[in-house]
Amino acid sequence: MVKVNLPPLAEGVNKAVITYLYVANGDTVKEGDKLAELVTDKATFNLPSPGAGRVTQIFFKEGDEVSVGQTIFQIE
Amino acid sequence: MSSASIFPPWLKKTLLSAETVYRTYDAIKDAGANTVCEASQCPNLNECFSKGHATFLILGSVCTRPCGFCAAVCGQPLPPDPREGFRILKVVKSLAIDYVIITSVTRDDLPDGGAAHYGDVIETLRAYNERLQIELLIPDFKGMRRSIEFVASYSPDIFGHNIETVPRLYREVRPAADYNRSLDVLRWAKESRPGLVTKSAILLGFGEETDEVTECMKGLRSVGCDILNIGQYLRPSGRQISVKRFVEPAEFKDLEDIGYGMGFKSVSSGPFVRSSYNQKEVLRTW
Repeated sequence: MVKVNLPPLAEGVNKAVITYLYVANGDTVKEGDKLAELVTDKATFNLPSPGAGRVTQIFFKEGDEVSVGQTIFQIE
Repeated sequence: MSSASIFPPWLKKTLLSAETVYRTYDAIKDAGANTVCEASQCPNLNECFSKGHATFLILGSVCTRPCGFCAAVCGQPLPPDPREGFRILKVVKSLAIDYVIITSVTRDDLPDGGAAHYGDVIETLRAYNERLQIELLIPDFKGMRRSIEFVASYSPDIFGHNIETVPRLYREVRPAADYNRSLDVLRWAKESRPGLVTKSAILLGFGEETDEVTECMKGLRSVGCDILNIGQYLRPSGRQISVKRFVEPAEFKDLEDIGYGMGFKSVSSGPFVRSSYNQKEVLRTW
């Protein structure tokens, strides 16, 4: 099981808003597949999957604010 | 927080969760070093940290100038901390960095603008590894030629000073700076050390016209500037001046070609290019 957290994106920027979820619960993903699009004051970021597996939990929805270090996805 | 719709599609980056991102982050935090990555809320931080790259900020983190585009805190700074060089050295050691980039806030409160402190930091780093490559990005030292020449006398691998924008927009973007003085910084450094590699950077998106940008580039070439980086201004927060325009990648490419035509030895031009972005790779290709 892999937990996908929000990695450091820009110092002083500890939060990002999820603007798009590319995957839904139960989807199969491979390494590098886009999981979510997030936006900060300075840019838009795509968060890729760190490994292959099935998305078993999504802890946030579109429009939610996520802090660096928080788990967004669980992949098994 | 801005809405996603304000960013054009080319201003999108992939977030890396690599272990190196955390290692770089932790090494800097553990050492207590300041980085400009932090002060500027740079959107490249995640990518640069994944490669173990960081640009260190010296002379504290409080700046004496209220530039309209910058996220650094403006106020009354503390005296220079003699341990700053050792904090950077700790990060250099723990990440085995062989190319270090150092910049600073502007210190108009110091009689030499902070030049002697630059020298101290360089000496600390070179005492550990005399082959360590050092790139500097200095303030204008209020146009004090002696300070500029003093820092140049350390023969850094790259001597940088950013012009930032075209002269017409200085009042808004860099109200306490002076366009010609910034050109003089590069000119005097080169004159005092003819072999010195000098560098500058321009941010686009403040409302400049293309012909003003090319004039600015000509100005930089007229003082012998070797390396030019051009990037998109991105507003750090609602407190800074707004982005007037998102420049398309093709326009950045055109400016790169124009720059090479003018005789710059290296031109990096693109939306996410910053003054020291990927410089180590650029130097390697020379």
